[in-house]
Amino acid sequence: MTGPTVVVGEVADGHLTGPTLEAIGVARALGRPTVGFVAGAHARSAGPEFARYGVLEVYVADDARLDSAPGGARVGPLREVLASTGASVVLAGGTTNGRELVGRIAIAWDAAAATGVTELAAVEDGVRVRRPIFGGRATESRRLTGERQAIALRPHAFPSPAESPGTPHLHEVSPGALPAPLAAAERTGVAPTVRGAGPGLTDASIVVSGGRGLRGPENFHLVEELAAALGAAVGASRAVTDAGWRPTSFQVGQTGRAVSPQLYVAVGISGAIQHIVGMISSRVIVAINSDASAPIFKVADYGVVGDLFQIVPALTAEVRRVRGL
Amino acid sequence: MEIVVCVKPVPDAETRLRAAADGKTLDAEGVKFVLAGYDESAVEQALLLKESIPGSKVHAIAYGPAPRTEEVLRAAIALGCDQATWVDAAGDSSGDPVTAARALAGVLAGVPRDLVLLGKQAGDDESGIVPAALGQLLGVPDFSCVVDLRWDPAGTRFRFQRPVETGVESWAVPTPLVIGLQQAWNDPRTAKLPAILKSRKAPIGRTTPASASAHSLPEKFELPPPRTGARLIEYKTPQEAAEKLVRVLREEAKVFP
Ligand SMILES: Cc1cc2nc3c(=O)[nH]c(=O)nc-3n(C[C@H](O)[C@H](O)[C@H](O)COP(=O)(O)OP(=O)(O)OC[C@H]3O[C@@H](n4cnc5c(N)ncnc54)[C@H](O)[C@@H]3O)c2cc1C
Ligand SMILES: Nc1ncnc2c1ncn2[C@@H]1O[C@H](COP(=O)(O)O)[C@@H](O)[C@H]1O
Repeated sequence: MTGPTVVVGEVADGHLTGPTLEAIGVARALGRPTVGFVAGAHARSAGPEFARYGVLEVYVADDARLDSAPGGARVGPLREVLASTGASVVLAGGTTNGRELVGRIAIAWDAAAATGVTELAAVEDGVRVRRPIFGGRATESRRLTGERQAIALRPHAFPSPAESPGTPHLHEVSPGALPAPLAAAERTGVAPTVRGAGPGLTDASIVVSGGRGLRGPENFHLVEELAAALGAAVGASRAVTDAGWRPTSFQVGQTGRAVSPQLYVAVGISGAIQHIVGMISSRVIVAINSDASAPIFKVADYGVVGDLFQIVPALTAEVRRVRGL
Repeated sequence: MEIVVCVKPVPDAETRLRAAADGKTLDAEGVKFVLAGYDESAVEQALLLKESIPGSKVHAIAYGPAPRTEEVLRAAIALGCDQATWVDAAGDSSGDPVTAARALAGVLAGVPRDLVLLGKQAGDDESGIVPAALGQLLGVPDFSCVVDLRWDPAGTRFRFQRPVETGVESWAVPTPLVIGLQQAWNDPRTAKLPAILKSRKAPIGRTTPASASAHSLPEKFELPPPRTGARLIEYKTPQEAAEKLVRVLREEAKVFP
């Protein structure tokens, strides 16, 4: 019940990613010994990174094949680490790979599992977690019972930990031969995410979305300029994507992406329920709309009733001014 | 091509969510359960593949209690699925996706399946656990967040993309495999009335899984405090609106420095 917590690290550009740091912070707060695990090419380089945040025992499966094999290939080495450390909890960051790994480890390690977790506490019989469900329209608390728990966090739900530097001990884990069904899968390419000028929609901490109120694609730059000033990702209502002003990958809502940034700015969007379910779990919502009775104002925290063609350029200029851009 | 699509009955999007009397789960009284979200897209994808690959069949499988589970399976048949199996969840009120995956795998292990299609996450619990757990249980590769899924007959493999945090991956994978679909169609097909009527009489297989005790139990179902409505910024000029809004966002909401 009180074995160590294993944090599954992900590395990008030679550094542990933001979601991994959030997981390290949570693991340290659990108050049990914390060990790190990283798989893939250059996994060893994550040793000093983990150690910078106080995680000194780091298990590495340093093997480039693990980067281009299906995620299932990481299960073998991770299980070995769980067994040899006598771990109780596996923690992953809130990424696609992190969630998938939790689903697989739940089976391979016979663990209780939860993803999208925003609060977590050790209790007598396991771990209690809290997580938003129904697109943030409700929250559930669950008790993960038994001796083993696999948990993926929700992105941006926890702060990065303070640094607490030390010297890492690296432990090598051999990934061994890939199971045949996994070896037959071929990753034929990987293209860096097309981010426009800003961050991706689902992992951005600020999102600015535009709706039909913009009247045409020729005005969408107003939304994009505000987003650029805020360092935000750009989203859109379905009215915009259906009309072809922007590709469907921009669509926020029931049939588009669900986003939960720190700040969501809805520009010229009425606030149909199908749009709301995709953004309601944002921490702070701002609406700019000329119609004071638009339903978006019922879910927004702050509203500006007015003509977006006047308000948005003024807002962009003000954001630029305060940010010194 | 033998395609299996797993669908979960979830509350209709318009449902007013409420906690049940014990405060632990959703109050399902009077709630309309439907095939929705990514699962609706998974069915659409299954049917598109069936139409493009001669000799294909689509088998819909759902784990859940009566009567909602049978209802969504009938909806899947009305849309064009050839066969349906209800895995009865009587006795499991855990809402645990791992338990669901084990029950589904019990059936999947015994049916022909080249491709198992799921939503990348269910419309209610949004766990994204079942596709990966199924891959592990069945011993086949699994991929979630998949878009642009195509069958490449020359290469006898599926080709698809996976937009993840680090980039967009392209894959070529032979069958059997498990796919959690992220692609959502804005206009998936709707069932025609004659098909709906016919689906009411369609035979639906029923199995009961070996009992398993869930390791994840619901303790509390909560609704966020009702949003009280926006605080409207008062202003005389657009510049004043902008200044006031930026000030509250920085000083009060603290959403940017
Ligand atoms: C099954 C289904 C699924 C759907 N899925 C989605 C989804 O995923 N995402 C989604 O967004 N929608 C979805 N919809 C569509 C949804 O119901 C709405 O039709 C859509 O969200 C409306 O987009 P909008 O707010 O941009 O347009 P509108 O509803 O037309 O609103 C435009 C707003 O702009 C305001 N406006 C106009 N001029 C100005 C101005 N000069 N200054 C300021 N404000 C102005 C207006 O007051 C109005 O409120 C779905 C619908 C269905 C049936
Ligand atoms: N009870 C269930 N019956 C059938 N399929 C399910 C069930 N639960 C989940 N799934 C499938 O698994 C996907 C992911 O669900 P989840 O892991 O719960 O988010 C869903 O989109 C469905 O395709």
